[in-house]
This record gives sequence, C-alpha cells and structure tokens, in this order.
Amino acid sequence: MRNILSQLSLLLIASLLLTACALAPPAPVDEPAAAAPSADEEKIIYLGAAVSETGKFSREGKDTRQGYGLWLDWVNDEYGGIKVGDDRYKVELIMYDDEGDPDTAARLVEKLINEDRVDFLLGPYSSFLTQSASAIAEKYDKIMIEGNGAAEPLFERGFQNLFAVLTPAGNYTRSALQLLAGKGAETVVIAYEDTAFPTSVANGAQHWAAEYGLEVLGVETYPVNVADVSGIMSKFKDLDPDIFVGGGHFNDAVLFIRAAKELDFNPKAMVITVGPSNPKLIEEVGVDTEYVIGPTQWEASMSYADDYFGTAAEYAARYEDLWGEPPTYQAAESTATALALHIAIEQAASLDTDAVRAALRGLDVVTFYGPINFDEKGRNAGKPMGAIQIQDGEILVVAPSNAAVAELNYPAPPWKDR
Amino acid sequence: MDQLLQALVSGLLLGGFYAVMVLGFSVIWGVMGVINLAHGEFLMIGAYMAWGLFRFFGMDPFASLVLILPSMFLVGYLLQIILINRIVERPHLMTLLVTFGVSIALANLFKIQFTSDPRNVAVAYNGSVQLAGVTFPIVKTIIFGVALLIMVCLHLFLQRTRLGKSIRAAAQNKTAARIVGVDINRVYAITAGICIALTAAAGAMLSPTQAIFPFMGPPFTLKAVTITALGGLGRIPGALMGGMVLGVTEIFVSTYVPGIGTNLGVATSFILLVLILVVRPQGLMGGLRPIDAEAE
Repeated sequence: MRNILSQLSLLLIASLLLTACALAPPAPVDEPAAAAPSADEEKIIYLGAAVSETGKFSREGKDTRQGYGLWLDWVNDEYGGIKVGDDRYKVELIMYDDEGDPDTAARLVEKLINEDRVDFLLGPYSSFLTQSASAIAEKYDKIMIEGNGAAEPLFERGFQNLFAVLTPAGNYTRSALQLLAGKGAETVVIAYEDTAFPTSVANGAQHWAAEYGLEVLGVETYPVNVADVSGIMSKFKDLDPDIFVGGGHFNDAVLFIRAAKELDFNPKAMVITVGPSNPKLIEEVGVDTEYVIGPTQWEASMSYADDYFGTAAEYAARYEDLWGEPPTYQAAESTATALALHIAIEQAASLDTDAVRAALRGLDVVTFYGPINFDEKGRNAGKPMGAIQIQDGEILVVAPSNAAVAELNYPAPPWKDR
Repeated sequence: MDQLLQALVSGLLLGGFYAVMVLGFSVIWGVMGVINLAHGEFLMIGAYMAWGLFRFFGMDPFASLVLILPSMFLVGYLLQIILINRIVERPHLMTLLVTFGVSIALANLFKIQFTSDPRNVAVAYNGSVQLAGVTFPIVKTIIFGVALLIMVCLHLFLQRTRLGKSIRAAAQNKTAARIVGVDINRVYAITAGICIALTAAAGAMLSPTQAIFPFMGPPFTLKAVTITALGGLGRIPGALMGGMVLGVTEIFVSTYVPGIGTNLGVATSFILLVLILVVRPQGLMGGLRPIDAEAE
C-alpha cells in the first residue's frame, strides 16, 4: 500500500513538474504560419515583443497578441511580405510572456535585443509595462512602436525611439465629459488606481472637467489589486455627484459597478476606462452595466478605412474570422501598431533604424484604426478619442458626433428604479 | 454619524470575509507549520466552481457551497496524502517550494482551461437594504453571516469532537500526540481537507463581488499572511479579530483620509503588523502556538 502510494505520488510530482516546465518558461510564440524556414534564402525581418500571457494583464495581453498575430498572418500570407526597395521581406515575430511584471518585461526586451537580435520591437500591454520595456529599447537605440501604453509620462522622458499609435491617456475622458457637460451635468468625482495609466487618465479628467465647467467634488486613489472599493464609493455617495469617473483596468470596472449598486450610490453617469468597451463586461456583469459610459480608442462602427485592411468593419470581420471573437480596441490598436511600422519601413525602403525612425516621424496616414501622425514626442496626438455607452446590452458609440451611432442616455435612473 | 456607522458596517462586513478567507491558511500553518503559498489559488478554484455551477446549472453561489465544500475537502485530503505529507516535517524551504509550484501549476492550468477572460457571477439580489440610515449590501451581508456560521461550526468541531481534539493535539505537540496513538498523517490530511474546502468556500462567496480570473490568487495569499500574523496562528477568534482589524482599518482610512483612497489602509495594517510583531509576537490573541517558537 505504502509502495503504491509513494509511486503514485512520485508520478504526481513528476507530472506537476512537467506541467510547470511546460508552462513556466516563456516559450517563444510563433503566431500562425510564421515558422517556415525555406531552403532558398528567404529574407526575414525579425520583430520582438514581451506581452502578458499570464498575470494581471493576461486578458488584455491576449488581445494584444491576437492584434499583432492578425497583422503577421496577413502580411506574410496575403500581402506577400513587407516591400523594402525591390525585395519582399517575410516577418517573424518573437513573443515572450512578461507575466505582468515590469522587471520581467525589461529583462525579456533585453533578451530580444541581445540574444534574438530582433530588428524592431513592438510594445507590451499597459503603460505600466511599457514604461520599463521602452527604457531598455531606448538604451540599445532600438525602435519600439506600441499601441497599448497611453500614460503621458511615457512621452515626457525625451526618448527618441518610442512611438505610440493610440490617443494619450490625458484625452481619454475628454469627449465623454464634453458630452455630459452639454447635457447639464455639473459635478464630478474621480477614483483611480495609483499606476501610470490611470493617473494620467485622472489628471486629464480633472483638466477637461475644468475646461467644460464641471466642479470636481472629490478625487481618490486606490492600489493595484484592490479587492474592495466600498470605502471610496460610500464617501462619494455622500458627495452626491452627477458624474463618476473611474480610471483603472478591467477588474476595477466590475468592482465600481458592483459597489455602486450595493451602496445605492446613484451618479447620473458613470464613466469607466477599459472595462465598458469590452463585450466581456456585459457578458459577465449583466444588466448592471446599462448606462455605463467608457472611452474607446476605436470601435468597428467608426468610419475609418485604409488600403490594407479596408474599413474598420471589414477589419473586425477579418479578426473575428481568425480568432473567433470580436476585436476589442486593444486588439485593433495592436494591429495598427504593427501596420504603422510596416508602412514606415516601406516608406524608408530600408531596415536601418535611423531611416525607419525618420519615416515614422514623417508618417501621416489614415488607417482602419484612424489617423496616425506622430508628434515630436512620439505620441499620436491627432487622433480623437471616442466614447461608448452600454445600451440594451450593446456597446454603442455616442461620441464624437461624426462617429456616433446612438444618442447618449442621460441621466441614468437610480438603481432601485431599473 | 451616519458616515461613521456606514464605515463601521462596511469595515466589519469586509472583515468577516477576510476572516473566513484566512481560516484555511491560518489553520494549516498552525497545525502543520506549512505556509501554503497556493492558498489564493484554492480560493480562485472555489470562485470558478461557483461561477461554473451558476453559469451552466443556474445554481446560486451560496447554495453551491453544498457541492463545493465536500469536493474541495476531497481535493485537499488527497493533495495532503499524496504531496504535502511528504514534506511536512522537512525544512520550511521544501514546503514553500512545493506549495509555490502548486500555485503556479494551478493558475496556469486554469488559464489553459478557462482562458484569462474575467468572469463574474451576476446574482439577481446584488442590491442593498437601508436599515437605521445605514446601507447594507445584501451579498456582503450574506457573506458575513455565512462566514460567522462557518467559524462557529469550525470552532465547535475543534473544541468538542474527538477528531477536533486530535487536530489540536497534533498542533500542540506532534510527538506526544503520536505517543498517545494519534495517526498524525490522517489528522493532517483531514485538516488540509477542511482548510482547503473552507478556502474554496470563501472564493465561491467572493464570486458575485469581483472579477474571477486565473491570476487573482496571489494578493489574497499576501493578505492572508498579514491577517494570520495579526491574529495568531490557527485560532478562530484570532482569525476573526485579525480580519476585522484589517477590514475596519482599510475602510476607515479610505473614508476619512481624503485623496488616499484605500492605499493607506494597506500601509496602516502593515504598520499595525510591525507593531504587533514587536509588542506581541504571539499575535493579538495568542494562538495554537507562537509564531516561530519551533521553526522546525
């Protein structure tokens, strides 16, 4: 008996170890069809990225990976490789798992540069990780182009090699606040996670609130991995504001909505970053998400188009075809990131870092994702930010007016009348 | 005044959850001297079970405890027999390595199985009731009630039953317990079963209040360490006390210190922890045994 037990346990330990081995080290990920080393010398551009597969940003990291993967699939199989002068280059993308940890992200980027010898870097998910990853890229003078780090401080460090295709975080709440001020809202409270991106969103929200004549009644912060926001919400309840602004990531949106309902806190509008534009929020949290407003970088219903992926709607269809789920804006901006690099390399007709950097600086195109035109700090400041509202279980664009497909429902009724 | 009462109620409700969340961790540590780094992952498993039963069978997360408790007892029992009993009397580093390995393996297995999409249990009664000017969130109040019930039951079990007494005996003096005929390995396995079942139950009760995803565990493990150190090892009144102190501190600080939110709450509870370690190293309420009295 004892013998059998010990053998059984050895087996279990061995299999556990095996699983751990199979899972723990971040294996290089070759997305669809990239690994085809043919006999005749194929010209290849190597790209590298550290993107969360596990950890806090596991969900958003998946969107980022799939966004990159869609472009990779398309550029190799459909487009026939990037044109550099008269040559066509296939692309190979090496991705590692940064585990949501900034130190790991930095270490992996260093490995991508020194060991894998990649030509260009794509960004990780979140400002938090981009902050450390981009510092390494700058140190080795490698271009890092990203679409998932929007915090303003990223672009205040005088870096020459960081380019971002997305609208900076300070502008996230602008169109929503403008719209709400126009509807008669007068007061606002703000709660945000004390990391780079939400801090930028909250600073921006205070700026735009002042701009549109809204009075800020209270501002609160909370730490990463918070499990309960009741304290903040009950304090806000006493302030009785018209607008609640919540800056954070996906889980924070769940906490804010749950806590507001539980404490019977009834702002006339809730503006929350990241969560609301993701269909998963409606799927999991259900009807309580009604009337919630969220900033969005991109929606499939927007009217942008390019020669590569067609319209935004065509891009969405292609994405759903490949990955079996509709794209979030995080996925779309990741594809746009890779596409911007692609266009810049073709315009530069060279793989030289200086030439491509110059091309990126001069880039002025409209893509399915929107206009891309980098300013001197590497931000895509020209792109406007949209706002969506959840109405009848659907994510509908309510601002800016030229992309809106629905009218904003304001004010939201109190919880007990829903 | 209303704000004060509200903060107190919110803090106590949060503390009740913390207390039941920490029980399993505290008792395993107290009885076997094993610091279970996979604690948060068992919480995560419980949350996923509640979510699955809710999503596919429409089962209420509190009703699903009836299924979750026995099945996770079995998981804990087997895990102890097959894995942990082999390292229980080895140096601490071994147990840390093994439980850390279990935690990584579990989180990643769940990621492969369920993807990292966040889940949530949307129960219909997640509103609130007003009582004497104070808002009681319904779900959190139920959690508090169930938590108290669980703690009373566990307390009675440990104090009154023969099995409970042998668990306490094993915790107090392993050798003596062996001499009087206690089957230590079986006692350990039952302890682990109970603890992991309780942890999973805490996770199941948590499922309506926040997003569930494979990597939600580690912050809870960290919090469990804090509360255990606050309250003393393996004692139910200690866990309750530690949980309440942390819950009330977090809520009070976030209610009364402007601009800080919940940040200072965590910091304050760690300052409390350091003070307690200096002033009363055995924890606020003593314990099954003092922390680190016999490191081996």
